[in-house]
Amino acid sequence: MLAFNNAWYLLLLGLLPFVWWFSFGSLSGLGRWRRAAAIGLRTLVMVLLIGALAETQYQRVNDRVTVIYLLDQSLSIPEARRTEMIRYANASIHAQRRDDKEDRAGVIVFGKNAEVEAPPVDFSIQLAPKIESLLDPNYTNLAGAMQRAMSLFPHDTAKRVVLVTDGNENVGNALEEARTMADAGVSIDVMPVPLVHRTDIAVEKVALPADVRRGQPFELRVVLSDGAPADAKATDVAGHLRIVRKAGERQETLSDQPIKLEPGKRVFSLREEIDVPDFYTYEARFVPDDPNADAITQNDDATAFTHVQGKGQVLLIEDWENPGEFDYLIERLRKSGLEIVVEPSNRLFTSLPELQRYDTIILANVPRTSGEDASDVSSFSDDQIKMLVRNTEELGCGLVMLGGANSYGAGGWTNTDLEKAMPVDFQIKSTKVVPVGALVLNMHAGEIAQANFWQKVIAEEALKALGPRDYCGLTSWNGTSQWLWGQSQGGLLHVGPNRQMMLSKIDKMNVGDMPDFEPGMKQAAIGLAAITDAAIKHMIVISDGDPSPPTAATMAALKAGQVKVTTVAVGSHGLLGSQLMQDIATQTGGKYYVVNNANALPKIYQREARRIARPLVYEPQPPVEPLVKMQHEIVQGLSGAFPPISGFVLTSVKDSSLVEVVLQSPKPTEPENATVLAAWTYGLGKAVAFTTDAGKRWASAWTTWDQYDRFFSQMIRWSMRPTGDTGKFSVAADVEGNKTRVVVTALDQEDQFLNLQTMSGAVLGPDMESIPLNIQQTAPGRYVGEFDSTKAGSYMIMVTPGAGQAMIRTGVSVGYSDEFRERETNTPLLESIAKLTAKGGKAGELLAPLPDLPKNGANPTFDAQLTVDPFRRDLPRAVASQDIWPWLVMMGSCLFFADVFVRRVQISLEWLAPVWARFAETVLRRKRPVATAPTMERLRSRKADIERTIETRRAATRFEPDPTIAAEPGAAQPTATRPAAIGPTSGTAPKQEADQPEAESYTERLLKAKKQVWKDRDKEK
Amino acid sequence: MAAVALGRREFCRGALGLVAATCVSGCVGEAAASVPEKVWGQVGITDGRFQKPRAITIDEEDQLYIVDMTARIQVFDRDGNFIRVWQTPVHDNGRPTGLSITHDGLVAVADTHYYRVLFYTKLGELQEDLTIGGTMGQGPGEFGFVTDVAQDAAGNYYVSEYGEFDRIQKFSTERKYLLQWGGHGGEPGKFARPQSMAVDGDRLIWITDACNHRIQVFDEVGKLVKMWGEQGTAPGQLSYPYSGWLDGQGHLYVCEFGNHRVQKFTLDGKSLGTWGSEGRGPGQLFNPWAIVMDSLGRIDVLDSNNHRVQRFVL
Repeated sequence: MLAFNNAWYLLLLGLLPFVWWFSFGSLSGLGRWRRAAAIGLRTLVMVLLIGALAETQYQRVNDRVTVIYLLDQSLSIPEARRTEMIRYANASIHAQRRDDKEDRAGVIVFGKNAEVEAPPVDFSIQLAPKIESLLDPNYTNLAGAMQRAMSLFPHDTAKRVVLVTDGNENVGNALEEARTMADAGVSIDVMPVPLVHRTDIAVEKVALPADVRRGQPFELRVVLSDGAPADAKATDVAGHLRIVRKAGERQETLSDQPIKLEPGKRVFSLREEIDVPDFYTYEARFVPDDPNADAITQNDDATAFTHVQGKGQVLLIEDWENPGEFDYLIERLRKSGLEIVVEPSNRLFTSLPELQRYDTIILANVPRTSGEDASDVSSFSDDQIKMLVRNTEELGCGLVMLGGANSYGAGGWTNTDLEKAMPVDFQIKSTKVVPVGALVLNMHAGEIAQANFWQKVIAEEALKALGPRDYCGLTSWNGTSQWLWGQSQGGLLHVGPNRQMMLSKIDKMNVGDMPDFEPGMKQAAIGLAAITDAAIKHMIVISDGDPSPPTAATMAALKAGQVKVTTVAVGSHGLLGSQLMQDIATQTGGKYYVVNNANALPKIYQREARRIARPLVYEPQPPVEPLVKMQHEIVQGLSGAFPPISGFVLTSVKDSSLVEVVLQSPKPTEPENATVLAAWTYGLGKAVAFTTDAGKRWASAWTTWDQYDRFFSQMIRWSMRPTGDTGKFSVAADVEGNKTRVVVTALDQEDQFLNLQTMSGAVLGPDMESIPLNIQQTAPGRYVGEFDSTKAGSYMIMVTPGAGQAMIRTGVSVGYSDEFRERETNTPLLESIAKLTAKGGKAGELLAPLPDLPKNGANPTFDAQLTVDPFRRDLPRAVASQDIWPWLVMMGSCLFFADVFVRRVQISLEWLAPVWARFAETVLRRKRPVATAPTMERLRSRKADIERTIETRRAATRFEPDPTIAAEPGAAQPTATRPAAIGPTSGTAPKQEADQPEAESYTERLLKAKKQVWKDRDKEK
Repeated sequence: MAAVALGRREFCRGALGLVAATCVSGCVGEAAASVPEKVWGQVGITDGRFQKPRAITIDEEDQLYIVDMTARIQVFDRDGNFIRVWQTPVHDNGRPTGLSITHDGLVAVADTHYYRVLFYTKLGELQEDLTIGGTMGQGPGEFGFVTDVAQDAAGNYYVSEYGEFDRIQKFSTERKYLLQWGGHGGEPGKFARPQSMAVDGDRLIWITDACNHRIQVFDEVGKLVKMWGEQGTAPGQLSYPYSGWLDGQGHLYVCEFGNHRVQKFTLDGKSLGTWGSEGRGPGQLFNPWAIVMDSLGRIDVLDSNNHRVQRFVL
């Protein structure tokens, strides 16, 4: 079937008669057949070109159906029912999909987001009972799932979705989306998931008064609700209500009392008093005695925060591999009146609220990643680093980095968010100061799941940790071993100018299955040998261990070049593969890792790339005395020279006027790299960089310095979050639906309402995202702001009352989503969706509800559900269109050529006769007639014809014939060498011959006319 | 408009020119053998589909046995119609990379990462008591990564392996260890990943020494008879030869993993031609692992990274 995109162009077909008329006249010289052919071809060319202008499409109708099953995997549906949906989809695909029609079936699972569990394919997929997609099951977004299905349908089939859900949507508008789908010709079948309405206990909230103060008793209230079904017998639910108070790692149970809940709401109160200033979290949890008495357990707890200002606390994070390194400093700071909490780097904070009890956080010679084995390697995740930075930038907490061989660039912190927060950069641009390192990555992650993805991640991690002057190269196998970049320059390039190019190549990298280690390692050995200015040469090989080993010569070359090869065995094939890689590492002095969980890979690459960063450690001999470059609160009141230091980590001072370099080393001579102490204000907080240590190794002379305590306590105190008497401000936060309302009451010293010019606020959501909080004054001393709190989790609220005022912090916890409030199947919505008529087809079907699970634990059968066939043919057949206008243009061009050919070229086939004659004579051995015979015969016959004609005319005119006419030379004599062509030209010779009789007949006619005149005159007489 | 009369020569020239102009795009240069007779199989884990198939063998009824990265051994008829499937008992450590048919009609599976050779009936029943190996090590009857198993006319088994000790071990018909040869290295007689073996009528063992990019031929006691090949892409050169097949008529077909092609040799190592190039279209290969020849002399190439089989006739 043909269709036209621009059908108006077809009007041009009306020009065809003109073309015919014009051609008929202009081509009259061609003879009848050639003219007809030329006009025919011309017509065709025009029709084809007009067809091309009209954008002709070839449309093919097919009978295929694509069905996408949308399975609701949100938590409002019990897990067993969610698994049952998958079984139904499997059963339906298996039993109802028609292979002969090439039907397609796909599956989308959804909660808040919708993910494709199986794309629409034309064979019978069977899903595993456990879904593989990552979903947020705390919400139901039917509309999102439908949109996803729409984007997934192939264009050339009929389309249907089967929606299996309880219909309790809490994000999006399903009915609206369903209407859009129906209008687009998509049919929607619906299978309701029946929910049994059971008694459900929910801890709705924990309420605290807005202004909790130290030593003042207050009332803590817990609101519980017992949502018993309306038609059920109201029964009490017995259980325990447990209220816990947490502050840092301290945890106390305030109450654990048995309670009996009647249907409806109930409030429990508890008298509480806070003696120790801190950031407190209260958690209330209800535990029913009979677990079956409570339908949903996710809504059985709620939390609330409060903060009581007091003496500042400091968190010191130390490297878990080197514990006790800062014990002396900790002891001295405690003596100076600071409260120090020590946390090892393998047991780090996991959320921002945890950091709120501290006013300064010290990273004491902590590397980003530590650990020697894949099993114990630990690192600051990107999220944790972000928390640290935002805690300073937006919450005003201090951030101090104390030096040591594992800190700054030498600790692998290069290119992290932490670097941005510090007054110094961790990379050195000048080669005079720091020798460079060279790193070669060899990729062969082979058979681990998502190998290519992980290879990209680790290559990026390694690249991140390298400085701009360091060299990096990456080899992988694709038929041959190849450098990913710089093939013509030896494979290793400086990272600085090439970082973006490298990242983009890594992003496009596709790694093949490397048969042997030799080519890649040989390439690395040659490439690294060509780098003469690198102080440290390192290679990291990741492999499943089954490539063939490298040759002894290559291993020797690596050893001779002092290249350390670290091997990372992933998904390795038992002991043997690992043994080979272990040997490679041992022989070259590298490390060997066995990785069973790919998540450990980025940490290992961060750890290994740190080896390249070692030159950042600077150890002057003899030790040098740091010089005070400017007066600052940290060094205020200190007298005399600073004791000498024997080392520090090289950094580069940030190019910012906010940076204050307080102490500087006289060596190296580049002052921008010789910072010992620098400070600046970063956002709302302060950050301090101290690049030497606190007395363990480099600053050992300082421990006997009489001003040690003063120096360090001044440093920490300067960085700490400003504290003040916030008693006159109270902040209350209240969650209402998807919004949280913040109310600030401000009073001055005389308890009069305070009217402030500016009051600003900020909120950090559960995913660390910043949520703007706009606070407006609504009444004297009353300020109100509101923000969206759609996600479950903790929200930190910061309010800055005005210049010079300490920040007020509070938190609010959004306990559970609406997902756990709905308790019945939303049948009306589902029925409305099923009733929608797909454009050009029929309405969807409401399938039998998902069956109850058999009591004996057997798998359910879906006989009732399978009575409706989602692959039924009640939708308009799909049309697949294909543009064919380019073909029309091509055919038109060819025919145009033919048109010209017909008009310009005259084909004669006369040559066939002599060829045949020759063939007959030479091949068929036939005797050839006398050569002249045909010509003479034709001549004679022609002569006879002419004679006959002349005789006839002569008889008519009674003139005597002229015997010379027929013998006139050249008159009718055909040439023997050139056969007469057929067609219009063939008549030229006889025409010449016929001229003679024509002249005669004129005389005849004249005579005849004369005679007639005489005859007529006679009659008249 | 003047008409032109056209003579015989002009017409022939014109007609030839027209034909040439029509055909010039698209059908130049490729030899007839470059067009596969059949291309079948696609990626997937359901019956009849492949997830990077790595070994193939063929029985006397031209049934094809193919093992892939899911450790499924699938059986197909000569035209690629699925017949049956089974899976090796364990495959977490890795999947088999070699298949062959024994004289008594069993399917021998080089269970690479479990250091053993498994034997199945053609219906997929595991003959546990016939298993060779199972222990990792360097001793007699112990293995590294087993790559292939071959049987000579007398019924002796040859098992190739790589890892740290690339070697060939020979076992009697009763699966008793007889002898071994090889070792890791590039010298003549040593191996770097002997990926496949073929035994000819003279009891010579033809071995594709993959990472040395060469073919080595040994007699039945492991004495090197001949050897050829060097790394490269030119005809006569090799890149990771992963599989070889003797056609019994004086030719050796070699499947080159690295060059994405099949190369035909005389038994003296003279290259007679190549077939295939890197790519995803029909007639193109992407890291092929193995080849077999059926009873009609047609070659089936296991086009591994394209997850399919291509059949061509020379």
